[in-house]
Amino acid sequence: MSTYNQSKSRTQLARWIVCHPKLSVVASLLLMLAMLGALPQLYKDTRADAFLAADNPALIYRNKVKAQFGLSDPIVVAVINESRQGVFNPQSLQLVNWLSEEISALDNINSDRVTSLATENNISGSDDGMEVTPFFDELPETQAEADRVWQQVSDFPLYMGQLVSHDKQATLIVAELIDEDQVEQTYEDILALVERAPRTASDSNSIHVAGEGAVAGFLGSYIDADAQRLNPIAGLIITLIILFAFRRVSTALLANVIIGASVLMTLSAMALLDVPFFVITNALPVILIGIAVADSMHIFSHYFELQAKQPERDKPELIIETLEAMWRPITLTTLTTMAGFIGLYFAAYMPPFKFFGLFTAVGVGVAWLYSLVFLPAAMALIKPSASQHMRRLAQNHQLDSFAQLMVSFGRLTLNNAKKVLAVFAITVAFGLMAALNLTVNEDRIATFHPSEPLYQADRVINQHLNGTNNLDIVIESNVDEGLFEPASLLKIQALQDYALTLEHVEGATSIVDYLKQMNRSLNGGAADEYQLPRERELIAQYFLIYSASSDPTDFEEEIDFDYRVANLRLTLNKGSFQDTRLVVEQLQAYVDEHFNSDELNATLSGRVTLNYHWIKDLGKSHFAGVAISLLLVLLVSAWLFGSLTAGLYALLPVAASILIVYAAMVLLGINLGMGTSMFASVAIGLGVDFAIHTIDRLRTAFRERAQPNKPVTEEDWDKALGELYPLTGRALLFNYLAIALGFGVLTSSQVVPLTDFGAIVFISVTTSFVASLSLLPALIKVTQPQFISGAQRPEPRIFSMSKFLRTTSGLLLIGSLGLALFNQQVEANAINSEAMRFNNLSADEIVERVNRVDDGEHVSRDLTMTLIDKRGKERVRETRTYRKYYEGEKRTILFYKKPSNIKGTGFLTFDYRDVSKDDDQWLYLPALRKVRRISASDRGDYFLGTDFTYEDMMLEGKLEPADYDFSLLGHEQLTLSSGEKFDAIHMQGLPKSKVIAKELGYGRSEFWIDVDTWLVVKAHYWDPKDKPLKTLEASDIQAVDNILTRHRLAIDNHKTGHRSIFEFSQVDYQSSVNDQLFTQRALKRGK
Amino acid sequence: MMVLSTHTLLKPRVTVLTAAAFVLTAGSALLFSGAVAADFSGTWQQQWSLDSHGNTQQFESLIDSEWNHSFSGLGRGWDMTLIARIKIDGSDQLGHSVEPSDNFSSINGPLLKSQHAQLNIREWYWDTEMAGSYWRIGKQQVVWGQADGLKVLDVVNPQSYREFSLDEFSDSRLPLWMLNIELPTSGDGSWQLLWIPDLSYHQLADAGSDYAFSSPLLVPQIPEQLLPILSAVSLEQHKPVSPLKDSDIGLRYATFAGGWDLTANYLYHYRDAAVYYQSLEGSELKIDAGFERSHLLGGTASKAFGDFTLRTELGYNSHSFQLLDSQSEQAMQNLLRQQGVHQSAELSSVIGLDWQGPADTMISAQWFQSYLLVDHEDLQRPQQDHILSLLYRQNFANESWEFEALTLYGLEQQDSSIQLQLSYILESNLELWLSADLFSGPTTSMLGQFNQSERLSLGFEWGF
Repeated sequence: MSTYNQSKSRTQLARWIVCHPKLSVVASLLLMLAMLGALPQLYKDTRADAFLAADNPALIYRNKVKAQFGLSDPIVVAVINESRQGVFNPQSLQLVNWLSEEISALDNINSDRVTSLATENNISGSDDGMEVTPFFDELPETQAEADRVWQQVSDFPLYMGQLVSHDKQATLIVAELIDEDQVEQTYEDILALVERAPRTASDSNSIHVAGEGAVAGFLGSYIDADAQRLNPIAGLIITLIILFAFRRVSTALLANVIIGASVLMTLSAMALLDVPFFVITNALPVILIGIAVADSMHIFSHYFELQAKQPERDKPELIIETLEAMWRPITLTTLTTMAGFIGLYFAAYMPPFKFFGLFTAVGVGVAWLYSLVFLPAAMALIKPSASQHMRRLAQNHQLDSFAQLMVSFGRLTLNNAKKVLAVFAITVAFGLMAALNLTVNEDRIATFHPSEPLYQADRVINQHLNGTNNLDIVIESNVDEGLFEPASLLKIQALQDYALTLEHVEGATSIVDYLKQMNRSLNGGAADEYQLPRERELIAQYFLIYSASSDPTDFEEEIDFDYRVANLRLTLNKGSFQDTRLVVEQLQAYVDEHFNSDELNATLSGRVTLNYHWIKDLGKSHFAGVAISLLLVLLVSAWLFGSLTAGLYALLPVAASILIVYAAMVLLGINLGMGTSMFASVAIGLGVDFAIHTIDRLRTAFRERAQPNKPVTEEDWDKALGELYPLTGRALLFNYLAIALGFGVLTSSQVVPLTDFGAIVFISVTTSFVASLSLLPALIKVTQPQFISGAQRPEPRIFSMSKFLRTTSGLLLIGSLGLALFNQQVEANAINSEAMRFNNLSADEIVERVNRVDDGEHVSRDLTMTLIDKRGKERVRETRTYRKYYEGEKRTILFYKKPSNIKGTGFLTFDYRDVSKDDDQWLYLPALRKVRRISASDRGDYFLGTDFTYEDMMLEGKLEPADYDFSLLGHEQLTLSSGEKFDAIHMQGLPKSKVIAKELGYGRSEFWIDVDTWLVVKAHYWDPKDKPLKTLEASDIQAVDNILTRHRLAIDNHKTGHRSIFEFSQVDYQSSVNDQLFTQRALKRGK
Repeated sequence: MMVLSTHTLLKPRVTVLTAAAFVLTAGSALLFSGAVAADFSGTWQQQWSLDSHGNTQQFESLIDSEWNHSFSGLGRGWDMTLIARIKIDGSDQLGHSVEPSDNFSSINGPLLKSQHAQLNIREWYWDTEMAGSYWRIGKQQVVWGQADGLKVLDVVNPQSYREFSLDEFSDSRLPLWMLNIELPTSGDGSWQLLWIPDLSYHQLADAGSDYAFSSPLLVPQIPEQLLPILSAVSLEQHKPVSPLKDSDIGLRYATFAGGWDLTANYLYHYRDAAVYYQSLEGSELKIDAGFERSHLLGGTASKAFGDFTLRTELGYNSHSFQLLDSQSEQAMQNLLRQQGVHQSAELSSVIGLDWQGPADTMISAQWFQSYLLVDHEDLQRPQQDHILSLLYRQNFANESWEFEALTLYGLEQQDSSIQLQLSYILESNLELWLSADLFSGPTTSMLGQFNQSERLSLGFEWGF
């Protein structure tokens, strides 16, 4: 198609839109409304863990450790008293006691896991051996009693610094949560408790609430609240700028419709694609507000300019003319902006950032569409006129003050072109150097404004005590009771001692400390007896004595039930990446070199380790993002202008702006963190617009005055460059103001990373704007590039370089977009599994959902079991089964009906919800005519010769959280061998201990859960030696009495080649099932 | 069919009663139910056994047909089960007398019988639920107790000793006509009431057959002192006759509490083994086989502990009758004074422990003891008797193969038996087996008396 034809068709399209304004407006609004229908499905995922892909090994391991030791990110309440006695006075101790009791009583607090002076025990020697007694049984009434408590505590090294500060002035109440997802409410509850804590006039206690739990609990709502405040302000500022620029209310209204469409439809697209709203998504509306309005501002500018100059002309015609002139730069800038954000998508490794990049690109696309369809149609309906001020200026051939400002700026630039280039060259060089000194850092507590009580609490606690940041080291022996070995304990002690030499590591707690204290107590209490016992038997005895003297679950956080896995928890007084990076790396090196062996293994975990894994690749990812964005923008620009040089020129202002931002960051001491790292892609995407408009305007100027066969003179260049400023320069100024002020709003944010982000984008956009109207024209003036002057006469060539470039770049852009969208599906899997359509569900919550699936209060059904051996020989057994839930137990009975050889055989089970209680089972064998009581402890035994274990049968497709630690592996499209397809969550279940693994007969399992039904549709099992054992596939899922039922279960035993197929029929959830069916009499009677 | 054509109509009363019951059932089925749709199934069990001399001891077919029918219409709530058995033995080594067995009551015993074959109504009962209680009326087996093989409380039904204890328990138990009511109480408890008007008792192996009793523990011996003067020995049996007055009554309470299966049992019954009273009339030794009543009080308790299951059983018999030693110096006096029989209360118990540790494996040990509360110096059996049993069962290949070894050992008489069986499920409904039954010990002992009757068997069971 020729250029003429192309432009003709575009004119026709523009004409059609303007001639059918109502239809275009209504269609646009209907499309928007249709999309908005999906918006309510959008959900939030503000968890810190959402920043790591669900299959990140560090995250999986940490979740396992959390489950094993019952550790959560705790909420820490500090009572501080800076008087001479510190907190060791009756009043403070009573307050600690009151707080401990009240906090324990909160719903979401694990009352067994509240640690404070009021809950902890002192270990001391006694005549009988060892005495484990609370620090105070009765509340101290006198100062002398309080002093005695101090004496005991200060004599217990384990608690010093951890629970009580060395200066006596602070003590902690550490509360672990039951459900971390409820942390926000719990944090609020604790704040309310603190408010009503009993205080007296003479009270000099202060109470602070902090800790990782509190940070996590508050962060989401803190950022949300901030965004809710900022977004309207950004919208308002931009509306005011438009009003000010065009002095027409209609322009502000229409621009807001485009903003609304861009922001709301993008969020709807996220909802439709099951992408959650992350913490950083809060910045998306602000960014889109700034970008979306830019297109309409250019259109308004051009239209009003025309209208002011030719007020007599038909307005729809003017609109068409505006579109003809503006579609190209608007499309160009849209494409380059999208390219910039897609660069972020490709470079980012954290799912929230990836989605941020992708969906901002989508929003930019929506803004483009509405600017070119809705806006001209609406304008054709309203037929706005230029303001009188504009008309007057136009009639008098005068410029307004903004245009004059830009003309002056242009004159200054063009007259000093080489100096401008020199200034930029120096600035860029400085920026390059600065970039090398950029610091990557992130500190979650620094997200909060320093005036925030949580921030202050954290500071105070870290000042007085060991710290609020935890690093766990999980030590695993390869045998049960391996941690009774003195050599192993000495290794742990050495590791602990080493850790304490590291900067910022203020405290360390492990089972070693308890053993040392016990040893000391049992040896007369002398300080030099504070050491590890040297004999294995003695260590075992200490544990025994302790458990006899106190609650045996006291060590739950430090060591597992089999004495095989222990946790060493380090406390750090700093939580930032820079402060903790060395600690993690040095510990890892120590563990690799001095600790890990065949017998004993240590793995770093905990929040600090996890944060380390979060951030360590941030710098790399950032620079990769910048490179990819620049490349994409270069390609797109080169494609659009048909010239690689044009692409490079377009890139220069943004490249310069980024380097200047680096310099500013170093100067202002802003770190490259989670929030700030995404600035570059935003800056590139936005900043390149100015350059594109500049280049396009210059090319148009040459094209308009093109005279065949006349060489381009210096005068032509000056004229073209001079014409750039009054109209385009003015439009770009407003464009810049809208974006800069939009982002500028972020600087008033209470969320520190957002403030930094706003400031940086402000700087970069300003620099891009300035560079596009100074560096770029200066460079063009000096170099007089062909891609601008040559735009007037395309030379006919057999091989057109520009065509080649356009084609190649076009393919690349389409490829990138396609890849991005395809990748979005793949990447979404990782995030989906955690949070996509499942409303922020964690592995445990998914398990809960699976277990919540209704399987009827009772059911009766026929079950045909087909057993096939490896040679294909089949045995078929037909049974009738009944199952009913009772309070605390489930009863199941199964009668064999066929073949007649075993007819009458019956099997009755009482399965108790209390896992500590063995199930009761009876077998009725007709040959004996007797009900035989059988032991039910071997859950891993195979059920009546099938490949299902008794446990499999009992669970009926449910998942047992008491046995497994579950983690998410991903999300995928699953196709079973039956050909049935499922959209499934892929999960892993690791038995909580070797003992459980042995009991179950499974070393690990993987499950696929259909997200539509929440039924387990496939499972893989490995034996305890990690050899593939069995594969289960569940199919023929149908609703019976509104209950989803798996009608066919097929399990393949890979070891034996045996196969069992269970087929259910005559399933009935409605007919009542008599309680008398679950009796030995019924077993005997066969019904 | 040839075999059946030579049948003899044995007991007119049994036949008439059975026919009447059949007509009643069929009639009621037709009258009260919309459609008679009985569930039919059957098994054909074939076993070929060779004795220790290589002779065929048994070539026996057991064809069981079972009809289950749930009545609808007016008879709704009633279920009927009928198990008929045709037994054909090609060899008559185990005895299969054409003469009616005198252990059966007039309403029990085979329906048709010939030299090699017989037709039995093995079980035939009606089940219903009435007013919260469960009724089973008809010919049936009721099993009490927790022990395997060694019987303390499992004495409701008499037993056939045609193959001593080598055949399946359900096959050796003789079903009786009775009323069996179970009344569940609140919770997990239930009462069971039995009324047994069927006056049938143990069926012993025919004299001269391989498993005929010969041990002096069970069979009276002629005192040596008598041999020179004895001209004749006569045997007469006196059985109770009144189905009402002589019926057995049983009561059991069973419950499940704290993981324990507990029962308390009481049975007022005629002991199923005849008491051989001996008397001298002139030069004739008269043996009077009579049946005696006893109160049986007992209980069971069992519970699983991890991999172990404990089963215990305790029984007190108010009357037990033991033969006195006929070879002792006091034999004559005992015979004259006590008719060669000693009566005492008896306390028996079994403690069993099953271990299901490794997968597909069960090891079960039992210790049975019996104690006579009143001692007698000339007792054939010891006052305190102990038997140990050990069972090992192993399944392979998803339970398609099974190996089982059961050994019994009498501590006092040092007699023992070993039963080995390897079975294989060839098809869903076809099982094959190979088994060996071995005995050892003095011929006077309970198990040793069969030490010439060891056997090797091959068999199959086909279900249809």
